[in-house]
Amino acid sequence: MTSSLVSPPTNVSKTDIYLANLLTQSKQQKPVFNAEFIDELRQIASLEVSSQNFPSKKDEEWRFLDLLPLLEYDFKLASAVELTKQDIVPFILPEMAKSCLVFVNGIFSPVLSDVSALPQGVYVGNLTNLPLPQSKQIVKYLNKTTNLVAQGGSDVFSALNTAGISDVATVWVNADVEIEQPIQVLFVATQSPLTPLEKGGMLIQPRCLVVAQRGAKLTLVEYYGATAQGCSDTAPNQAYLTNSVTEIYLEDNAEVNHTRIQRESGKGFQIGQTAIAQARSSRYTCNEVNLGARLSRHNLTVNQVGEQTYTALNGLTMLANRQESDTHSVVSLTKPHGVVNQLHKCIVDDYSHSVFNGKVFVPKAAQLTNAVQLNRNLVLSSKARVDTKPELGITADNVKCAHGATVSQLQPDELFYLRSRGLSEDQARNLLLDAFAGEILQRIPVPSLQERLGQCVACRTF
Amino acid sequence: MNTSVKTLVNQPYKYGFITDIEADTIPRGLNEDIVRLISSKKNEPEFMLEFRLKAYRQWLKMVEPTWPHVSYPTIDYQNIIYYSAPKQNKEKIKSLDEVDPTLLEAFEKLGIPISEQKRLSNVAVDAIFDSVSIATTFKDKLAKDGVIFCSISEALHEHPELIKKYLGSVVPVADNFFAALNAAVFSDGSFVFIPKGVKCPMELSTYFRINNGDTGQFERTLIIAEEGASVSYLEGCTAPMYDSNQLHAAVVELVALDNADIKYSTVQNWYAGDENGKGGIYNFVTKRGLCKGVNSKISWTQVETGSAITWKYPSCVLIGDNSVGEFYSIALTNNKQQADTGTKMIHIGKNTKSTIISKGISAGNSKNSYRGLVKIGSKATGARNYSQCDSMLIGDNAEANTFPYIQVDNKTAVIEHEASTSKIGEDQLFYFAQRGISEENAISMLVGGFCKDVLNELPMEFAAEADKLLSLKLEGTVG
Repeated sequence: MTSSLVSPPTNVSKTDIYLANLLTQSKQQKPVFNAEFIDELRQIASLEVSSQNFPSKKDEEWRFLDLLPLLEYDFKLASAVELTKQDIVPFILPEMAKSCLVFVNGIFSPVLSDVSALPQGVYVGNLTNLPLPQSKQIVKYLNKTTNLVAQGGSDVFSALNTAGISDVATVWVNADVEIEQPIQVLFVATQSPLTPLEKGGMLIQPRCLVVAQRGAKLTLVEYYGATAQGCSDTAPNQAYLTNSVTEIYLEDNAEVNHTRIQRESGKGFQIGQTAIAQARSSRYTCNEVNLGARLSRHNLTVNQVGEQTYTALNGLTMLANRQESDTHSVVSLTKPHGVVNQLHKCIVDDYSHSVFNGKVFVPKAAQLTNAVQLNRNLVLSSKARVDTKPELGITADNVKCAHGATVSQLQPDELFYLRSRGLSEDQARNLLLDAFAGEILQRIPVPSLQERLGQCVACRTF
Repeated sequence: MNTSVKTLVNQPYKYGFITDIEADTIPRGLNEDIVRLISSKKNEPEFMLEFRLKAYRQWLKMVEPTWPHVSYPTIDYQNIIYYSAPKQNKEKIKSLDEVDPTLLEAFEKLGIPISEQKRLSNVAVDAIFDSVSIATTFKDKLAKDGVIFCSISEALHEHPELIKKYLGSVVPVADNFFAALNAAVFSDGSFVFIPKGVKCPMELSTYFRINNGDTGQFERTLIIAEEGASVSYLEGCTAPMYDSNQLHAAVVELVALDNADIKYSTVQNWYAGDENGKGGIYNFVTKRGLCKGVNSKISWTQVETGSAITWKYPSCVLIGDNSVGEFYSIALTNNKQQADTGTKMIHIGKNTKSTIISKGISAGNSKNSYRGLVKIGSKATGARNYSQCDSMLIGDNAEANTFPYIQVDNKTAVIEHEASTSKIGEDQLFYFAQRGISEENAISMLVGGFCKDVLNELPMEFAAEADKLLSLKLEGTVG
């Protein structure tokens, strides 16, 4: 920590100095898109970070996830690294080879990106190259969800990201344009042995903005990975912190199928915010898969701003070793006739620890809401730990809301049944695990990704 | 909501009368001298004073919890009278004839007859008025079986060794803000001791009554069931109607040794304030049971209908192998009432089991929250939990929340949690109307059905009473 720069007054805690240093690093990121409103956003966010404390276990929102391991590292703003197409092959999905946007260490790479397969009316690129009509409107969208999101104080990490907002991966679909071609936005962290700082690491702050205008339809795959390995289980590598913010706007009748794959490296940290604003009759589906990172946190925030919305949140977290992963979802309904369908599954092995906190708020105005939430956890090792907290906050009486949570191990009678059919113990176990994970994986709309993740689950289970 | 229904809902709180009786009160406020004064008034042994002072000093260092989903103005702890007792002859009362007849009358009015001839046939009652215990019935009969049932102040003199051993062993003095306050100033409460192998021959019951408008009630209950013992205990509570709020911060500790079984039922009907939320009791209670021995069982049943604010989490700490914890709850809130209630099941021993059934009904402008913790420790192999929390909303200004925390540290644990929210359907009411059943009756039947799982757990006499209480409280809430 560069504490020599700041002489710490006695009443400022170590963690707050740490946060101040992160802010300094974040602010060093220069905006690539020059506009007054961006400067303004950065300034407001920076003030917000300074006014807050570094989250600790005393905060209800961070009660089960200890961020102290972060403090071991002195993160410095990541710099651009040239990668070749060869380096990113493991991350590019064949369906999306020509509709793929690549960011290396949070910085846009025009060389690696290829969006040639996309039709008219769709813009996928970085902020600088946004066509004029859209770029004029961007002020209406950028950072407008995250301001609304947090119930009880906005999230300090999202503000940290905004304080250093530079470039934005933008996916813009014009009104009434429906595209079959899925779009991939790849955020890759480099793993070069270039700067083997003892306790250093990169601070990467990806930013993504998705706007589906009235009646638009798209399928998006947001992918977080690290180079020099195809799999997050391989050899230890450099520490880094990915602090991402993704905002998704669905205007009236729009439909977005969003898949978010988190496969950071085994030494990486990820804190991510996905904020969604849903207008009338829009349909949003999130398929979230968390496999990587030493410690990850995903804040998934859905704000309903119109009637008759449909929200499906599917999640799979699979952890081993000493991994920790935390998913906090908040669905805030404000209008009648909303439908929420959430299924979050966790598999924890070894010494790993998973956290799930799912909130559904149904205020008085959101009559006729139908919300269902289920969290299922499978504990494979006696040292693994699960914390779950499904929450309902309801003030409307004409609604149907239910939630459920289960924690268990593989059922001995199920294993016995499979063994009685001639399967070995390992085969039986893997079959059950595949089925458990499969319920989520099958909902991913990209076949090659399904297969790849299926492979991942299979190789984890041995 | 039609008008005839509206008049029904505003049924007066029938226990709201004030008993005019001369009382021995101490000055307002709280400091070490007050703690010493309470202790000396009760003529307590030295170790008790130390216990109180230790708690008081801890309390000074603690802050009031802010996490419950309730809101209320700041409580001025210096504006409360911590001890108030009806004036009686200095000497110990030898028989009921010596008890002030006004007091007996007060309890008579509440439907709790203490005088010899009118006693409930098979229920022993300890009646507590403001800060002191008035009388305990059937003491001699119980003593024949070795059961000790008396006020805690009496137990302090007669069985100090038991008090010393168990008081504060389940809820430590500095457990939480209100428990610490209670430990410093508690005035009375019930003490139950069931010796080895004894099945308590009758239901035990304590009736709490707050009378004085500025007094806080701080009672402490301690129940110990030795190896193989079993007991069923019931508490009831009421208070007069005042415009101000009174604080009630109680602590209940249960200890179950090997194969022991304790069933603790509560029908809580403190004054809830008027429809605008004026007045009412702040009910901030810490209840915890310790399943210390193998195969022990503690079961909490609560029907919470009163209080302006309820903050209460009857918990079970399951230490003994194969021990069982149960929690059955009905929490009903109407008008401006707020309830943040639930349970904690801490599984420590092997093959421990817990069941949570919580039914929340919120009507009017009330807030009703379930907050529960199920924690499976790393050594609790084979632990099993089943939780079900259902909420029923009546009217669209009522609020229902659930905050279940599940923490699992052991792979062999099996946890199930379910929650649902619903309302009384138009179609259900229509069906009843079609059969010639009035709306009021239909609602009370539907609510009765909704709560059946819990009502079934109450001792017979009280189940009927609780059912009646629920329908009375709810009459006319649906229009």
